[in-house]
Amino acid sequence: MAFRVQFENNNEIGVFSKLTNSYCLVGIGGSENFYSTFESELSETIPVIHASLAGCRIIGRMSVGNKHGLLVPNSTFDTELQHLRNSLPDKVKLQRIEERLSALGNVVACNDYVALVHPDIDRETEEIIADTLNVEVFRQTIANNVLVGSYSVLSNRGALVHPNTPLSDQQELSTLLQLPLAAGTVNRGSNAVAAGMVVNDWCAFTGMDTTSTEVTVIESIFRLNDAVPSAITSSMRATLIESMT
Amino acid sequence: MNQIRIFDESFEAAFKNGVQFLKISTEDDNGSREPLTKWAPSSTSKLICSYCKTEFDDVVQQREHYKLDWHRYNLKQNLRVKPTITEEDFNEKADDVSSISGSDSEKEDSSENIAILRGRLFLKNSEGVVFSLYRCLLFEKKEELCDEILLKGLEKLHRNNQWTLLMLGGGHFAGGVFQGSTIILHKTFHAYVIRSGQGSSQRSMDNRSGSFQAKSAGASLRRYNELALTQHIHDIVRAWKKEIDNSSLIVYRAAGSFNQFVFFGGKAPLLDRSDSRLKTIPFVTKRPTFAELKRVHTLLTTVTMYESFDQVSGILKQEATDSSLKRSKKKTTNIDRAKSRENVERPSPINDSSMDDDVRVPNDSDENLEVDLIFSDQEISMSSVLQPFEDSLTVEERRQRKKKSKKDKLKHKRQIKEDLTRKKQLYDFVSSGHVQNLENHLKERGGGHVHMEIHNIALVNEVLDDVGNTLLHVAALHQQLEVIRFLLEKGADPCLRNQKQQTAYSCTQNNNVRKIFKNFAQEFPERHNYTKAQIPVPVELTEEQLNRRNAQRKLKKEKDKEKKKITQLIQQEECEKQRYLNLSDREKRALAAERRILSTNGSVVSRCFLCGTDISGKVPFEYSGNRFCSIDCLKAHRLSNSVILS
Repeated sequence: MAFRVQFENNNEIGVFSKLTNSYCLVGIGGSENFYSTFESELSETIPVIHASLAGCRIIGRMSVGNKHGLLVPNSTFDTELQHLRNSLPDKVKLQRIEERLSALGNVVACNDYVALVHPDIDRETEEIIADTLNVEVFRQTIANNVLVGSYSVLSNRGALVHPNTPLSDQQELSTLLQLPLAAGTVNRGSNAVAAGMVVNDWCAFTGMDTTSTEVTVIESIFRLNDAVPSAITSSMRATLIESMT
Repeated sequence: MNQIRIFDESFEAAFKNGVQFLKISTEDDNGSREPLTKWAPSSTSKLICSYCKTEFDDVVQQREHYKLDWHRYNLKQNLRVKPTITEEDFNEKADDVSSISGSDSEKEDSSENIAILRGRLFLKNSEGVVFSLYRCLLFEKKEELCDEILLKGLEKLHRNNQWTLLMLGGGHFAGGVFQGSTIILHKTFHAYVIRSGQGSSQRSMDNRSGSFQAKSAGASLRRYNELALTQHIHDIVRAWKKEIDNSSLIVYRAAGSFNQFVFFGGKAPLLDRSDSRLKTIPFVTKRPTFAELKRVHTLLTTVTMYESFDQVSGILKQEATDSSLKRSKKKTTNIDRAKSRENVERPSPINDSSMDDDVRVPNDSDENLEVDLIFSDQEISMSSVLQPFEDSLTVEERRQRKKKSKKDKLKHKRQIKEDLTRKKQLYDFVSSGHVQNLENHLKERGGGHVHMEIHNIALVNEVLDDVGNTLLHVAALHQQLEVIRFLLEKGADPCLRNQKQQTAYSCTQNNNVRKIFKNFAQEFPERHNYTKAQIPVPVELTEEQLNRRNAQRKLKKEKDKEKKKITQLIQQEECEKQRYLNLSDREKRALAAERRILSTNGSVVSRCFLCGTDISGKVPFEYSGNRFCSIDCLKAHRLSNSVILS
């Protein structure tokens, strides 16, 4: 399902939250409304964690993560890192990265298998991303824009990209990522799709302004409609359980 | 290159018909003007990279491609709206550039490629004559270079030829008002304000916080002289006020805070900082003296005219290479991630809401209410905000935990001891190569477990010593080939690293051990990530790739061969030349004569004394007046009629 939420009257909820298949981070806010929306939907399956990075609430743009790990920028305080370590599941690796492009959420887009990164990102960072998040890393641009993290959202079931992405690029990306891909908007026409929504394999949250057409596109490309809770034990078992071998 | 003065008639003639900035075109720009053509894949396949304009047969190939330097290079070219290049071109380019860095190059795309060299601006007039003069005479420091200001500036510069020059440094003052190249007013003097050898002025010493004020005679003398100097300069400049106001430019040099203070400080500053006529001297000067003053004036007023454009571009290029050399030396090193960084104390963020409660600010300034401001220091830390979410255990639960742990303590200690002895035993098995014992041991431990497989793998990957060596590391270090093979087959992970960040493969230099790893990697290519394990695996290539690689290799070989040939030829030529140069003049003449005769009638001039072959034009081997074609002939002759050496 896709849910509409608002963070203190702001629709850019992808800025204030981070959702993956094994945890959910929510920015510390004045009101608990935002947090409780996530909590009510997710608390049965994954932990919902209050967090701040470098004293900022814009955790969604500062960090990048998937079910294997979480990367935070160098400016993160030690106390915050400790808090995250205490709250995250033990399986999730947590690492602080020294990278010039410190808004990691804006320069990296990833799911549990692949990651698209900014063409200028450091080689060492690329390696850390590959090791910590267990992903294959590709340097790419989206619609001639280097901020791949802002203009694309990936889950293991689909991807949503900037509305100006040419069809040929979409095809190329979709073969590269091995995912169905759609160009679309959120929040009544905003093209910063990653800022307007967060998604994992069974659930999506979008800004309150998102129109029903946009929600339909999101639900169909991320295949959220056929992801009923019972699917967690059947079709989505593979993404949730690491391995039994 | 001839030089004229700004006030000469010939200079006016040079810029009268319009001037423009001399632009330097860089090589990169020449290529970029080609229109970017849209590329369409030849087939309908979707496996393409539109940046590099290539197609792939399968997904693996495509994914590999996205990690190549070539792709990254093209991606960046594309972002700069420049044409992308083919793989062959890239390979050639990559030979020149040692590495293509991940981060963006520092080279900014300068919209202004106007030629400026060491403060001198290069201009071109309508007749194509290039000349240069100091930029600061025409433009403000941060002003943009534009044509209108340029023309106006040139005219103004030429019309009013009265300039004021003021130089102050180290207690020396030199000032003068120039009209054209004649001096109408000037004054130089010196005051003792700076202690020789010590450097800084007394004033800056006194101002230094924490240090005591020197009470020596010298210090007070300097203090007094500083005041006197300031006063003196003020008097002089005030007296010249009329002339200074009339001048078109005021050029000054005042380095350091004291010197700046003399000109611009005080209640009634001598010069107005916002005056557009005020310029600093754009080159290095010596001690302010009268001679120096005149030198600065001549340098500033000189316009250098160049004969041709080539001369200018030569000068500019030379400078560009010099500066790039300097810059490349200066380049900072990358961050060393291996080193631990010092901990930076970061301030806690300030909470706005808490501030509002304590600090009340009167809203209306009209109301003269007496409000006491209450200030309070408050320590704010993030941990207090995060605490509610930190721990969900109640007090009782925590207490229970503690009790339990106390009970377990003894048990735990014993367990650790057992563990240590077991590890030691295991280490012995591995290091001495007892495969059978090792197998028994593993079976014994893994036997009772439910998830046999998982448990076994964990056992096999166990860390044995305190430097992080696993079983595999130990086996590799002790060169136990059979044990390695056994462990690998049992599923030991070769990717694991010890504390020195070495994998089992890289922790040993032994060839046999490495061979075992390589063989295993070849046999089971899917089992581990061998690049992570640092084990080189021969990659199986498709036929097409092989062919291409072979073709490339062949091409390279041929190129090398050609290069070799050319160098050989050059060397031969050089040898011949050297030999000719070593000949005496008589021999040279003889050689020339021989050649001439040979070319005219083709008859043979000199023959070998023994075998009679034609040796004209060559350098013969001489022995007792006879000439031979080779050493063999000479030797044969000598042996046949032996000569008694005295």
